Amino acid sequence: MRGFSGWLAAAVVVVVGAAGCSAGGTSGGPAPTELRLAIGGESEEGYDPTLGWGRYGNPLFQSTLLARDADLNVVNDLATRHEVSPDGLVWTVDVRTDARFSDGRPVTARDVAYTFTTAARSGGLTDVTVLVEAVAVDQDTVELRLTKPQSTFVNRLVSLGIVPEHAHGPDYARNPVGSGPFVLEQWDEGQQLIVRRNEGYYGRKPAFERVVFVFTGEDASLAAARSGQVDVAALPSSLASTDMPGMRLHRVESVDNRGIAFPYQADTGRRSAAGHPIGNAVTSDPAVRRAVNAALDRRALVDGVLDGYGRPATGPVDGLPWYEPAGAAPDDDPDAARRLLDEAGWRDADGDGTRERDGVRAEFTLLYPATDSLRQGLALAVVDMLAPVGIAVTAKGESWEVIRTRMHADPVLFGWGSHDPTEMVNLYSSAQAGTELWNPGFYVDAEVDAALDAAMAATDPEVATARWKDAQRAFAPDAPWAWLVNLDHTYFVDSCLDVGPVQVEPHGHGWPITWAITGWRWTC
Amino acid sequence: MGHHRLALDLLTALRGATRLALLLAAVAVGSFALVVNSPVDPVAAYVGADVAALGPAQRALIAQRWGLDDPAPERFLAWLGNLVRGDFGFSATFNRPVLEVIGDKFLASLALMALAWLLSGVLGFALGLVAGARQGRLSDRAITWWCYTLASAPAFWVGLLLLYAFAVSLNWAPVCCAVPIGVPAAEVTPLDRLHHLVLPALTLSVVGIAPVVLHTRRAVVETMAADHVTFARAQGERGLGLVVHRVARNAAAPALLLQFGSLGELFGGSVLAEQVFSYPGLGAATTAAALGQDVPLLLGIVLFTAVLVFAGNAVGDRLHAALDPRAALADGRGRS
Repeated sequence: MRGFSGWLAAAVVVVVGAAGCSAGGTSGGPAPTELRLAIGGESEEGYDPTLGWGRYGNPLFQSTLLARDADLNVVNDLATRHEVSPDGLVWTVDVRTDARFSDGRPVTARDVAYTFTTAARSGGLTDVTVLVEAVAVDQDTVELRLTKPQSTFVNRLVSLGIVPEHAHGPDYARNPVGSGPFVLEQWDEGQQLIVRRNEGYYGRKPAFERVVFVFTGEDASLAAARSGQVDVAALPSSLASTDMPGMRLHRVESVDNRGIAFPYQADTGRRSAAGHPIGNAVTSDPAVRRAVNAALDRRALVDGVLDGYGRPATGPVDGLPWYEPAGAAPDDDPDAARRLLDEAGWRDADGDGTRERDGVRAEFTLLYPATDSLRQGLALAVVDMLAPVGIAVTAKGESWEVIRTRMHADPVLFGWGSHDPTEMVNLYSSAQAGTELWNPGFYVDAEVDAALDAAMAATDPEVATARWKDAQRAFAPDAPWAWLVNLDHTYFVDSCLDVGPVQVEPHGHGWPITWAITGWRWTC
Repeated sequence: MGHHRLALDLLTALRGATRLALLLAAVAVGSFALVVNSPVDPVAAYVGADVAALGPAQRALIAQRWGLDDPAPERFLAWLGNLVRGDFGFSATFNRPVLEVIGDKFLASLALMALAWLLSGVLGFALGLVAGARQGRLSDRAITWWCYTLASAPAFWVGLLLLYAFAVSLNWAPVCCAVPIGVPAAEVTPLDRLHHLVLPALTLSVVGIAPVVLHTRRAVVETMAADHVTFARAQGERGLGLVVHRVARNAAAPALLLQFGSLGELFGGSVLAEQVFSYPGLGAATTAAALGQDVPLLLGIVLFTAVLVFAGNAVGDRLHAALDPRAALADGRGRS
């Protein structure tokens, strides 16, 4: 075999010697004008916002009407003003007049109207179905008319990049023209995206002439970071303790949460519209749901399962502007859990360690997606934490296809987290019971529904926020979910790169870090 | 005589074409049935992590855009009808016509697969010759052991080892992709491309090397015991000359057959190798198509691969027959 490896070494030496290697900003000398990121998130179908590109809030090539700052407050971007009619049905937006597309033509109200109309009709990954029509009422004013009031429609103004009507066609996704901070230079599909600074951008211009996004898998990203070929690499927290020369660990808090959805209904043989069973004899008892919530030690979950890279979750929207701390679930109090179960009549009469009541054992199966090792770890830890209070849990990994058929009758370990409070409606409103993966437990509460509806219908953001908080106070005592943890998103960042202020990131690791990429700077 | 020969050739070609057509039809029906009956919901797969943000109305729009509303047999017939007219359909994953996607990705894969194929063929044959000629000695035992190790090592695992050894620790090879990071297309040299090809090609060649070595070795061992070799030995032929002149030709026939027959495995291996090295070829596209339930693209790739494998086998048969006339006479019942 000496011949074989000798040949290999010789071949590699020849090739490498000729091609050379360039590293990122770790090598000293003048600060590079190029930035390389391995954060995943390739949009295989191209870079067309009307199909969903940029829905994480940073379409790079296009600009959005509004944006969110570090505290997630809504600020103007392409818009100079926006206003909601008293009935909540018409959003009027004034567009700045100094913005130009990268082909030199001005951004007009007509382009904005065109973008929203097209997005509403296209079957892509951005949901604008609430829109009836978008009309340019004059050169710089657009009216967006909705079928029903929707305070969360503001998130479409934050995330939908504006495309030019005159240059939007079938090949747009591969040759995007926009008014954003960057223009596309080259896209090697499946490999990398090279973007160039848009010198005509109206906003703060990026410090880098070019930015390269490398679309590597986890292993190759780690390899690229280790060998100094990228300046930022998004890696799972299980790799965050790795020693990475020339780079520092950058932890970002997120609402990327994990929690248990309890079947809320009693088991009466009911079935969903799709024919799947509804109800669970154990988790339909509020005492059981509250006891589970009280018995869990969330700090221990963070330390033990997430290696400390996370925060205990007290609700579905921890740390967001509409978060209500009073809705927090109790934590790490097994005695309280035992009391709750005792009072509700769950007793361990036969001494086998598991309580029962009227012949029903306090046991349930906890489902999680089998391929997700993190959720497996959480599920197994939950089993261990609930056994001492007399609740027997069986953790079981399944495919999503199986979980979809069983999620109304068995507790499931889900993951959510969004900057759009619509998600709270989807998870808790009775109207969404059995829709998609939302409200899988068929939770129903009139007070909660009323608060959520009021929040949706509010035309004043302050009022909406107050109603979102009402909803959290209202669903907390029912405990239809047991929220466990919020993950930290972990990145390795070149020691010389300042990535500015951080934003609590939504579900989905990687792309959200680019929300403020125009402000990134070299510090050495 | 010449006319007869031509007619025979035409008949053989016709028979081959019919067989290919039947094969493609069976493959098309089979894979369509598999994909349609798979539990993966294409819209759910496309939506992925955005499940929190998209309502039922938007999902209906997506299904409509993709033509998922029609019943499966209708969709299959529509697809078949378009196929006959040369239209392979539209890939939802890549937002492009299927033929364009396959063309692009196959070009990228072609270099990788060809290099890996040559590597495993040439190297495998040479090692097989050595092992067979030196049967029972240390070099034979080492090669055989090495082959058993390779045969049981998953391609992606070998790829990861190579990645860590040569890209991360030694920094000799790039960690990913078919072109250097951040270099405009116009400035990419052929040498750059070769540089990016080495590790994935090595990984991929591992898939095919062990069977070639082992079969060649056995053919060599058998031939070495044959009468004509004994006769040559008696006349004083020894060593390399003996192996090259008396044995190699006999051993080449099974090796070639195997090598051309292994195009299918090569393709399967490229799915893994391309994944590890973020190499943008047909293998990576297959993974994307399968995970996203991109039916037109998946079917297009399956048909394309079937043709490739069929052609490989046909060429292998021909070469085998040319090198070893006995195999042709016995119509596959040869002594191998």
